[in-house]
Parts: sequence; C-alpha cells; structure tokens
Amino acid sequence: MSSAVTAILYAPGTNCHEETAAALERAGGRSELVLLHDLLEGALKLSRYQAAIIPGGFSYGDHLGAGRVFATVLVAQLREQLTEFLEAAKPMLGVCNGFQVLTEAGILPGRAPGGHGAALIENESSRFEDRMVRLLVSEESSPWTAGLSCRVLQMPSAHGEGRLLSDRVGPDCEGRVVFRYADSDGRATEAYPENPSGAPGGVAGIADRTGLVLGLMPHPERASLPVHESQDGLELFRNLTRWLRSP
Amino acid sequence: MAIFAIYTVSRDDAEARNWLGFLRRHGCPALSDLAIERVFWLEGALDVRSLLPLVVNPLYQTAAEHSMLDPGRGPIVEIVYRPAVTDPETPSILTGARALGQSGLEFARLSRRYQFAGLSRAEAHKAASRFLYNPVVQRVREPDEVWGTLRPSGQPDPVRSVTLAGLDDEALSALSRERSWYAPLAQMKVIQAHEAARGRAHTDAEIEILVQSWSDHCYHTTWKSLGLLKRLSQATAAINHPLVVSAFKDNAGGMEFYDGWVVTIKGETHNFPTAIAPFGGISTKHGGVIRDTLGFGKGAYPIGGSTVMGTMDPRLADADLPAGALHPRLIVSESIRGTAYYVNPMGIPMLHPVYRIHPGYAKCFALGHSIGLIPREYALKETPHPGDVALLIGGDTGRDGIHGATASSASMTGETLARESAAVQIGHPITERKFATAIPVLRDAGLIRSITDLGAGGISSAAGEMGAETGVGLDLDRVPLKDRSLAAWEILLSESQERMLLAMAPERVAEAEAILDRFEVAHTAIGHFSDSGRFQAAWRGQEVVDVEMSFLWSACPIEPTPVAEPERRLEPLHLPMVETREEWSRAIHGVLGHFHCADQSVAGARFDSTVQGRTVVGPYGGKNHRMPTNIAASAPLRGKPYGLVTTVAFNPFYGDIDPAAMARMMVIEAITKAVVAGVDYREMVLCDNFYTPRLRPEVAWDLKEMVAAVADLSLKIGVPFISGKDSSSGTFESAGRRIDVPPTLAVATMGRVPDVSRIVTKEFKRAGNKLVLVGVMDAGMLGGTVYADSHGQRGDRLFEVEDVGLILRHWDALLEFHKRGAYLSGSAIAEGGLALRLFEGCYGSGLGAKVDLVTPMLLFGELIGSALVEMTIDDESEWRSQSVPAGVHCRVLGEVTSEPRLVLADDARVLWQEDISSLAESWSATFREVVG
Repeated sequence: MSSAVTAILYAPGTNCHEETAAALERAGGRSELVLLHDLLEGALKLSRYQAAIIPGGFSYGDHLGAGRVFATVLVAQLREQLTEFLEAAKPMLGVCNGFQVLTEAGILPGRAPGGHGAALIENESSRFEDRMVRLLVSEESSPWTAGLSCRVLQMPSAHGEGRLLSDRVGPDCEGRVVFRYADSDGRATEAYPENPSGAPGGVAGIADRTGLVLGLMPHPERASLPVHESQDGLELFRNLTRWLRSP
Repeated sequence: MAIFAIYTVSRDDAEARNWLGFLRRHGCPALSDLAIERVFWLEGALDVRSLLPLVVNPLYQTAAEHSMLDPGRGPIVEIVYRPAVTDPETPSILTGARALGQSGLEFARLSRRYQFAGLSRAEAHKAASRFLYNPVVQRVREPDEVWGTLRPSGQPDPVRSVTLAGLDDEALSALSRERSWYAPLAQMKVIQAHEAARGRAHTDAEIEILVQSWSDHCYHTTWKSLGLLKRLSQATAAINHPLVVSAFKDNAGGMEFYDGWVVTIKGETHNFPTAIAPFGGISTKHGGVIRDTLGFGKGAYPIGGSTVMGTMDPRLADADLPAGALHPRLIVSESIRGTAYYVNPMGIPMLHPVYRIHPGYAKCFALGHSIGLIPREYALKETPHPGDVALLIGGDTGRDGIHGATASSASMTGETLARESAAVQIGHPITERKFATAIPVLRDAGLIRSITDLGAGGISSAAGEMGAETGVGLDLDRVPLKDRSLAAWEILLSESQERMLLAMAPERVAEAEAILDRFEVAHTAIGHFSDSGRFQAAWRGQEVVDVEMSFLWSACPIEPTPVAEPERRLEPLHLPMVETREEWSRAIHGVLGHFHCADQSVAGARFDSTVQGRTVVGPYGGKNHRMPTNIAASAPLRGKPYGLVTTVAFNPFYGDIDPAAMARMMVIEAITKAVVAGVDYREMVLCDNFYTPRLRPEVAWDLKEMVAAVADLSLKIGVPFISGKDSSSGTFESAGRRIDVPPTLAVATMGRVPDVSRIVTKEFKRAGNKLVLVGVMDAGMLGGTVYADSHGQRGDRLFEVEDVGLILRHWDALLEFHKRGAYLSGSAIAEGGLALRLFEGCYGSGLGAKVDLVTPMLLFGELIGSALVEMTIDDESEWRSQSVPAGVHCRVLGEVTSEPRLVLADDARVLWQEDISSLAESWSATFREVVG
C-alpha cells in the first residue's frame, strides 16, 4: 500500500466516484473522495494529494454543456491550486464527464486552465451510447499506460457527448492520442458502433504533452474487479499506484 | 435592473439534427432544416463578457449580442419558461456566474429559439407546441416582447371555502368533474355530511386533500372494495419467509441480503402521464420509483432499475389510431428518450429494458422498477415523535403535476389528452441525484427518523401519511416556490418532482442542514409533527386546513363492487401447415422478427447498464453484446462475491385467453429465468404490478381471479410477494369506442446467490455439447404465443403446467444440475419458444445448433416453466440413469455445432437450415424501423 493519496474529485451530479475508489483500492492505491464544495470552502486543499481523478457522471446536470459548469468553477475559483498541482508534475485522470471537465477547463490538451484546445461534442448518433468497447493503446508515453502500448483493452463506454473536436491533438501537437476505438481485429476505427461517438480518427482518449494528464471517454473503473466482464481497466490504476510508489 | 441577452449557436448541433429527423418522422415532412439558438437572459449589474466562458466553448459555439439566425430562412419560435416559473438551468447559471466573480447577476433565464425552414409560421407553432415545450410551465415568447424583470412573479388566488350544502347528487357529481376531483358520488356525499356535522364549509384545500387521499391511486379503493389489498400480504405473512424484512408496508419491499445488508424492490406505473405526454411521463415515472427506494426505511440507495412498456403496435397505420390517442410510435420513441434523460444522470444501471405491444394499450402500460440497498439497522422507519421537524428537501414547489393522483385514477378519453396534460411534468434528475448522494450520509449519521417521497398528492399525501398516527402542522408560507402564483391548495397538492419529506428530532436539524448544504441540497423546515391527531396547515395568517386524521384515513366510503364472470369470445387457432423449407423460413423469421422477440438493443443501448461498477450480467451479453440476457446480476457489496439477481416477466397476450393462468405463468416464468441462472427459489422474493381496465363487473372478476391465482401459487411454492402496485384505470374512450387494456400482470423477482461468478448465461459455450430441455414439452399449446400472434391469432387455450409439484421438481433438478456445474449455458423458455432461445444461444456465441424439432408446436410453444440447458453428455442412457432424478422430464433436443447455423432435422433428414447471420437480419430490423 502506497502512502500517496489520490483525490477523487466529485461535484453535484458526479456519479462514478465510489466505483473509481473501489478500482483504485483493488490496484493497491489509496484515495479520498473530495467534494468540490470542500475545496471551494477551503476545508481541503488539492496540494494534500499526489494525484487527482475526476470521475464520470453529469456534473451540475451537464447544464450549458457537458462538464461546463464544473470546469468554469474549477478554473475561476481554484486556478492557483490547479496550476500548482500541474507544476508539481502530479498525474490527473478524467473519465467520461471528468474528461469533458478537463477539456472544458483547458487542462487538456494544453495544461492551460482557461484555454480552449479541445471539446467533446454530441455523439454522431446524437444519442447516449452504452457499449462495451475495445481501445487500442497508442505508443505515446504516459505513466497511465506504461507497458500497455499497442495492446487492445476492453471496457464499458457510456456517454452522449464524446466526439473529440480538436486540431491540437496529434503528432507534434500539444496533445497526444492515447486511446483509439478499435474493431474486432484491433485496428483503430471510425465505424459505428465500435466507435460509439463517431470521433474522427477513432480518438477515445488523449493526454497532454507530458502524458501526466489523461482523459478518456470509456470507463476503466467498470473493468477492474473480478466480477466485471473485463479487468483491463485495472491496468490504468495499477500504473498510477506504481508511478506514485516510484522514487 | 438591466437585462442583457447573449445569443449562442453551436456548430454541428446534434440536438438540432436529432429534432429535425424526429419532426420529419412525426408530422412535419416539409421541414427542410432546423436550427436552435439558445439565449441567455441575464438580469443584474454585471460584466456580460466575463460570463462567456460559462455560455460558450469557442471551439464549437459562437456568442453574440443579437440573434445570429437569418430571419429569411424560416419562422422562428422562441420558447421560455413562464414568468412565475424558475428555469431548471437557472441555479447552474448563477453558480457559474458567482464563480466568475459576477455576483451582481440576480437572475437568469435560458430561452431556445427554433427556426423551422420549410414550414409556415402556423406549422412551426404547431410543431413546437406538440413536441418542444410544455404549456404548463413554458410559453412562446413574442418577438417584440420586452421583459420587465426576469424574476419569478405572480399573485396567488386566495383561499376559498367550498360549500356542498344543499347540492343534490347531480350537482355534486358535476362539481367533482368541473374541479378535476374525479371523486365518486359516494365520496362527495361523505364530504357533504362532514361539512354538515362540523358546521362549517371546507376550504378548497381541505376538499382537495380529501379527494386526493381517497383517489384510487393513493387509497386503492378498487382493491379494497374487492377485498384484494390484503390477499397478497396475507399469503406473504403465511409463508413467514426468513429473508423478508419488510413487505407491503413501506415505499418498497425489503429482503435480507448478506453481511447485514438489505436489498429492496419496488415497481411503479405511470400509465396516464406517459399516455398523454410520454417524455415527461416516463421521466417522472423513473424519478418517482427511484424516490420510493430513497424513501424505504430510513433511506435506501438505488442500485438498479427497469423500464417495462406496453403500447399499441408502433407500426399502426395513422388511420387506425383512436381519436385523441398519441401514436404508439411516438410513445415508444419518446419514452426511450425520457428513460435516457432521467436514469443516466441518476447513475443507476438499467437492468431490464422491455417493450411489448398489444392493441388494447391505447392507454399504455409504463412500469419501472427500482432496486435498492440499505444497511439492516436502517431498514425500518420509525413513527415521527410529536415535536419532530417536518423537513422538506430537494426542488421547489411549482404548478406542475396538480391533480396527477386524481386524474390518473380516472379513465382516459380523447379529450383528457388536451385537458390533463397539465398533470405531466418534466423531471430534473440533477436535483434528485443531489439528494440521492446526501440521504445515505444523513441516514448513517442517525439523523433520519422517517423519510418518504413526494409523489402523487405532493405535500398533502406525504405529510398526511407520515403524520397519520400523530398529527401534523404545516406552515405553507415556508414552502419554497418556483411559481409565485400558487394558491394554498396548490402548494399542498403540487406534484412537483424531486422532493422528499423527512421527520427529524428538532435537536438534530442543524447537523442535517450542514450535511445538506455540503451536497447543495435545498432544505426547509415546513412544520412539525404533533399530538393533535389533526392535519393542520396555515398560510398567510389563515388556517387553511384543519381535518381530523381519523376522518382523512378512515371515512373514505368503499362501495361494494359487483362481480360477474366475463364471457370470453375466444376462437381456436387455425394455423397453416408448416412443411416446406419456405414455410419453415417464413414461420421462423416471423417469430424472430416479432416485436416481442426482436432485438431491442437499439433502445437499451441508450441507457447506462454498467454505472456503479456493480453490474455482472447486464441486459445484453454474448459475443457482440447484443444478445438479450433475460436476467440481471450484480454484485452490490464491493469486494464481496455475493450476487443479486433480478428478472421480469410480462406477457400481454396470455391475459386475453385466461387472466388467472396468465398471472400464474408470469410468476413461474420470472422465477424460472432466475432458477436457470442458478438462483435458489427459496432465496427469492416477488414484486407484482397489475394493470386492468376501469372497473366493471367483468373486470372485477378477472382482477379477483388473477390476485387469488398468484396468492395461492405464492403460498404453494413458498416464494413471497413483498411489494406491488395496482392500477385499475386502463380504459381509453374515444368517439364512442372503448378500448380496454388486456388483463396485465408484470412480475419481477429478486434473489440472492452467495457467489455471483457462478451465474449461468444463455449463449452457447462449446460445439459438441448437447442441448437439453428440462421441463414439460409434450402437451404444447400455441394459444397466446408469439407464433400465433404472427398469424394475427390469439387462440383459446394456453399451455400451462398446472401441477405445481412438477414445476418444483424441475426447479429442484435445475438447481441440483447447477450445483454440480452440469450445464454451461441455460435459459428459461418464454415468448418465441425454443426457436428464439436457440437463435439467441447461437447469436450470442458465434456457434450453431442442430436440433430434432419437427413441428411448430415443439419449436414455437412457449413452455413456461421449462428451460434449455447445454450439457456435456457422452452417453445419454448412462447420464439419464445416473443424473436425471425420477419424475423430471429431460429431453435431448440436439447439439451445439461449430458452424453458425440453425438446423432443424428429423434424424438425418434436414428439414430446414439457415445461417444465423441471415436470421439476425429479421431479428434486428423490427425495432430499429420503429424507433429510427
């Protein structure tokens, strides 16, 4: 068990925080559920934590745009803490709604709170899509995917707004593609339903240039326990605990 | 105060694209394009530009001070919330603005401007009023309209007294109708006598409370008059099952799980609202049944749910639609949208999405279940103590949903649609999600004495029931309103969603309020429980309600219901011979493509099935995750192997032939589905939902027969009902025509297993394994089957195994086989018979099957209580003598093959064969065509 503690940051409408904590615990990590309200009130500080995860859900009802209000609050009221957290080279993960929060906040792809380098817009089908998906892991280096390059991971995906819109993600850009939806042969795909959102290039997850900040639409925490159909998602949480343990 | 506007448009607007397709399918073929512009109306002293990060993402959205729509492209309809109503987004806008340092923003509204290219102005307004807004809470903003203020405004009506003195029967009935009370004459007379006895007229609020509390929806008058209400609970009491924690007395039923936890189940229908306004009706159905879980004991947490729909055939020709009814195509697609809208943000996995059809469902069947989890020590609520605070939490109270309880208890006519759509509201899941997170925290801190949801009847019903044994005094001025124009009786009766009422010791309230503040849940103490034995409420310095609880809860007249055996005009089946390969093909494609058998994943995939990380078997499985599993299994306690398994049985065809047999068969089907998966029926409970036409002597007969049938069966098999609900208003009248729903019973089971990894699923596992039918098959009848329905026939006899001992022997045999790991896949037979199960087993595995089934009776018979299992058998006679218990029917039908093909063979002669991929085309086309 590592002594490093990961903050699982949740707001009104977040609904995947408990299973995210369970996944991290199974991977040997320690976490605390941190209510956004307590950061805003000053009862807790982000600097206490060595890593942060923003889980899935519908924060603030996804009013005004998925992740928009959560991101606005983070950037406007916690910008200093966020910047300090990023500058300390601490890892961050955004899953589903958490990924939407990170892009809306400008943390992905540019590590620039308040910037706009990517957006996750409504699926091509204009529907919520609940599917088991395959993810092809790219060769980009990220502590979250260490040792997973070129592997195909299976995990559930469930969202209505997951189509990545960005011209700042790719080779020589500030953002890197880490996960692509894959077909049954393990090749990246734009085809529905293997790519449930219709994201161009099949992009399902991206990281910043350091690889420390990762966002993905599918849910690794729902593929992390022995009772789950796949346990591939556990690898991400294991990588986090390894990284936090490494000197 | 100054009012600013920010107009925003989105590039690549999927919502606009979605509505364009929808409106073109639903009455606007001329619509060539649809654009949506959103307008933020902001009042206060503020720097508007600083709000831009909140209202647009510049990557795909543009903001401007003026409209960006070109007026030449088509008529524009702008929809806003009514002046007295708060927008659902307002709190989020205020939160975001405060974060951006704009505390000067006093109020905000969000309007939507729809531009309809290709439609006339009148057509555009018609389309908007049909689908794009709810006139109870929203309206069209005129183009030249200037806002005075955005803040909610309006004046309430004063309290009025309503005297019934001197009114004759006719006048009483007329008044009941005019006021939308829907109270039968006998009730009106009791109220009239009460007025005379106490010597003063009732206030409008008092009468509203009485008729609402006595509505069939709340008081179950129909069931009481037939003596049915106690029937199931008495059977349950007689079974005295050791796992039952709470049956028929709380908002849900509770069963002992493991390690000090209790699991709960509740099924709730919302038929009337869904029939007249499906999106709102279905979303509030889910909101309501989820609150039943939150309101179980001292607050359970919802961990799963269902949506079970019965409608007319969505492929119905427009000309055949009963006047005044919504088209079933619209009801189905809007109900799917409503379920996704509400359940996904709640973060509750959808376990059983089920869609069925019957021509009688002009007033549709809209059922939802909610499954919950709670520590044993909090599973029983307490009675409030005198002096306890009545704490109202959640959303504000509005004009929405008034008269829902009384209106839904009445039958429905073509005119009801227009008049009572006011009873339907749109839910706001974020509000419910917030208190769903907070309630377990309050509970575990020991702060909750009692808790219940506000559903039908609103504050009146919740406070009246919670304070029934003590008394309650409410201060209605304290109730937070989203509509300033509500009169006192409307505050009491409003069915605004997303509210709960808690009873709490006064010295603990401050602690509770601090927790609720952290989770951003609004809360208000609206009164106290008392020892007065009276329901009292004050408003604006006036006493508006003062009624004895004893009168409220025991004076409702229960009129005897005449009962008469119905004459069923049933015709025997005349089905064509099936001999040639073409005839076999037609028959099999007809069954696989039947609405009840077809692939419904295009609907189910819109609902999150894996959130919470507890799901082990979701609604779809197999190789490509589209095979229906017919069961749901989850692991409620993280890190523990314990499994919770639920199943649902709902067949609208059988009831046409024999309601009592149908009712028994639903129980048997639901249990068999779980038993095959490996769940012991001795560790299982049941939940019932009845839906019958408006009461007539013949309907009363059917209802009594159905309830007696399942009560008796439940006793015989020892599996208790612990929760249920009835609706006796399934009648639609229009243009002199009466359409009755078929006698309907949906049964759900909830069972526990010590090791969820041992659950057996349906897809075949290995070529060469034998396919074995466990159960009776020889006496097959085709009445009520999907196969008969695919020929437009119903028939006159059901296939029912009446020997309960035989059913129990087969369940025991299956459980023994399961214990020994003797079968690798398994599924209970239901609609579509063996044909559907064989196809699904192949489709879900990529394998095939070759079976010796040579008549339609064998292939399509719906052998309720039987199961198809896959076993490794080397020597059949040795297996039979060593493994099959006496009195248990097992028949080897054939085997799993590696070739993905279904083959029917008579010994070596192949009668018919076809590739699974080509069968899958018929199977997957039907539902997709309906919902687009």
